[in-house]
Amino acid sequence: MTRWLFGLSAMMFAALAAPISAGAQGKDTLTVALPSHAPTLDPHMHFERVGVLVNINMFDSLLHRSAKLEFEPSLATSWKALSDTTWEFKLRRGVKFHDGSTMTAEDVKYSFERVLEPGTEKKKSPQYGNIRAIKEVKIVDPDTIHLMTDKPFPLLLERLVYFGIVPKKHIEKVGEEAFGSTATVGTGPWKLVEWKRDQHIRLEAFDQHWRGKPAFKYLVFRAIPEVATAVAELKTGGVDIIRNVNADLLPDLKSHPQTRISTTPILRVHYISLDMRSAPFDKKTARQAANYAIDKQSMIQKMMAGLGKQVATVVQPPAFGFDPSVQPYPYDQKKAKELLAQAGYPNGVDITLHSSAVDWRPHFEALGQMFTEVGLRTTVKMWDPGPAWNKFFQAEGKATNGQYGSWGNYSVFDADAVLHPLYHTEPGGWIGKHYARVEGLDKLIDEGRSSVDQARRKRIYADIQRMIREEAPSVFLWTQNDTLGISKKVAYEARPDEWLWLFAAKPAN
Amino acid sequence: MSAFLFQRLLRFVVVCVGVSLVTFSILHASGDPVALIMPEAAEADRARLREALGLTDPLATQFVRFVAHAARGDFGQSFFHREPAFPLVVERMPTTLGLTCLAVALALLIAIPTGIYSAVFRNTIGDHAATVVVFLGQSMPVFWIGIMLMLLFAVQWRLLPVSGWDSWSSMVLPAVTLGSFTTPLFMRIVRSSMLEVINLDYVRTARAKGLTEWLVICRHALRNAALPIVTVIGLQFGLLLGGAVLTESVFAVPGVGRLIIGAIRQLDFPIVQAGVFLLAIIIVLANLLVDILYVYLNPTVRLR
Repeated sequence: MTRWLFGLSAMMFAALAAPISAGAQGKDTLTVALPSHAPTLDPHMHFERVGVLVNINMFDSLLHRSAKLEFEPSLATSWKALSDTTWEFKLRRGVKFHDGSTMTAEDVKYSFERVLEPGTEKKKSPQYGNIRAIKEVKIVDPDTIHLMTDKPFPLLLERLVYFGIVPKKHIEKVGEEAFGSTATVGTGPWKLVEWKRDQHIRLEAFDQHWRGKPAFKYLVFRAIPEVATAVAELKTGGVDIIRNVNADLLPDLKSHPQTRISTTPILRVHYISLDMRSAPFDKKTARQAANYAIDKQSMIQKMMAGLGKQVATVVQPPAFGFDPSVQPYPYDQKKAKELLAQAGYPNGVDITLHSSAVDWRPHFEALGQMFTEVGLRTTVKMWDPGPAWNKFFQAEGKATNGQYGSWGNYSVFDADAVLHPLYHTEPGGWIGKHYARVEGLDKLIDEGRSSVDQARRKRIYADIQRMIREEAPSVFLWTQNDTLGISKKVAYEARPDEWLWLFAAKPAN
Repeated sequence: MSAFLFQRLLRFVVVCVGVSLVTFSILHASGDPVALIMPEAAEADRARLREALGLTDPLATQFVRFVAHAARGDFGQSFFHREPAFPLVVERMPTTLGLTCLAVALALLIAIPTGIYSAVFRNTIGDHAATVVVFLGQSMPVFWIGIMLMLLFAVQWRLLPVSGWDSWSSMVLPAVTLGSFTTPLFMRIVRSSMLEVINLDYVRTARAKGLTEWLVICRHALRNAALPIVTVIGLQFGLLLGGAVLTESVFAVPGVGRLIIGAIRQLDFPIVQAGVFLLAIIIVLANLLVDILYVYLNPTVRLR
């Protein structure tokens, strides 16, 4: 017994004496903390933000988006619409994959077809829906491809900004599984060195990348689930960038000698979907009352450190189709009470709201309190995201008067990306079918998404915004910011599309 | 011995089948994984994926298929990772087991000497101090201890890395955190079982034949007090594997607990099934090991 006790203690001392490796990062390494890793490095086979953030630094798409949200050439050097349903893309010449092979039109065609899987009923890729409108990919000549859509598809370019081009021959050689884990090859600025699941993804600069070399030779994505841990790592230099910093952490990171924050408005809108199928929100005046009841400005100032902006509807300023002439509902308790009385509830009414936005629990509770003050006596029910919440939705959100949530538009800067999921009532839609019942709205949304005449679309979306401002199928709340915590050793700023495009990161002087 | 082993093996199989059935039922009752794989996709696209994953078949068919495959060690493809689930779990097991074993070792390293001290010098100030520490240790949640240790040793004093699992030094804080969860319990058991034997006749005999107190305690008293300690280690092992989940999250350790928690959130059935199955096996094996150690430590068990 004593002998092995001695052995153990010797082991422990050895452990304590070992050099500290983490925390001591080289100057040529940029380390980013993510809450988790996506299940695969294959850019087509997952649907997760944490995966997208890694993929964009390893793969290029046909188009890129600048930090100012403009389309930029990437693997396509130019593009134009030949007709309502045919787009032409000129491909960049001499682009190398990480395995040294040259990207060809064949690779581009293969990339699309591996997601579209023409001819098969069962689709493997969860991204199929994003590009399902593409009917055919035609190679015109080695430098030119045509994308044909089944009907006019105004969102095509948006969808191409995150659609990585992958190497056909390489994938056919190593197989899908290896491609997603150990043999991932793209054309992006960094190539894969090593992926230890839930630990780190280590990338190294690709010296034949067509943009040139990135400033940091190594790029590491560590998986750190706890916010407190990520913050501690940032302060001690173990990581250089952390995401989704909450308002309560801001003062700490602002005042710490080695950290700073970078914040920018993003395309995420907060709302309460009101159930228009049942009382009290089947009455327009009751829904308007709910909109007047919320003091959006003080919530943004007091609970979000000012990092947000109230919205008139769910269509946000950076999105195509936004109409600035539509004004937000002002905060007016008296008006809210009057409207509620008009709806037939002079003595108020009991309602229940649900949410799975666990990070926003205080805000959700404050919303319930403000409703209660005008007579919409609210019970708030918070759910864990995941199975239970999911079950709630599958039961078509029964036993609810509304749901508080937020929608990130998948970073697609177009009014359709928020209007369709939130308000279209077709069975295949997202949550609109459970809540919204605005007459004529479905038809307008359909019209907007099936035209490529941008001027006409703009008019349609202006009509829609006026319509939903009046009909109030939701309580329109605010947009939020994305806030990064960044080491002072790194020059990088948050982007409005929440991307971490780290080719733009440089060591700070 | 062979009858004993056969009986154990039978129990083992029953446990495995039971565990699979329970996990399978709970998982399938808890919702639709496809809605989580494609949270913001159209229903038609979801239906397509649901079919591709074989989730549209009747539950009984799915369970039979699952058992048939599981018997061959094939738990199916992870819905999210799109790789076989079992190797994904096995890959992480060494980390979790390593963390758990380190924690147990550390806990024993502290608990045995202090427990003996408390027993030998019972009702002294030292004993009382140890009792207070025991109470404190048992009342603090693991994740809180973890974060506090991290703030002190990693952020304030910069002695150890904040998180990770890539060097010996990065293993210290997680092991201490998880160890602190069981140290108090081990200490109490050591103390009480030492107290039980310390005044028995054979110990007095050992003293009488002139052995030093040190030898009496370590060779004679502790040997017999070891039985309850070993039992508790066996029982605690399962709990510690559970505690490892929290520790793994706090310190970003890439263990099996984190994998399973993530999989439960996403309803990644194959991973959860493979993970729970493997953990069940390990716990059963740990208990088997305890039973065998019994025989070795206490000849009276063998005779019975």
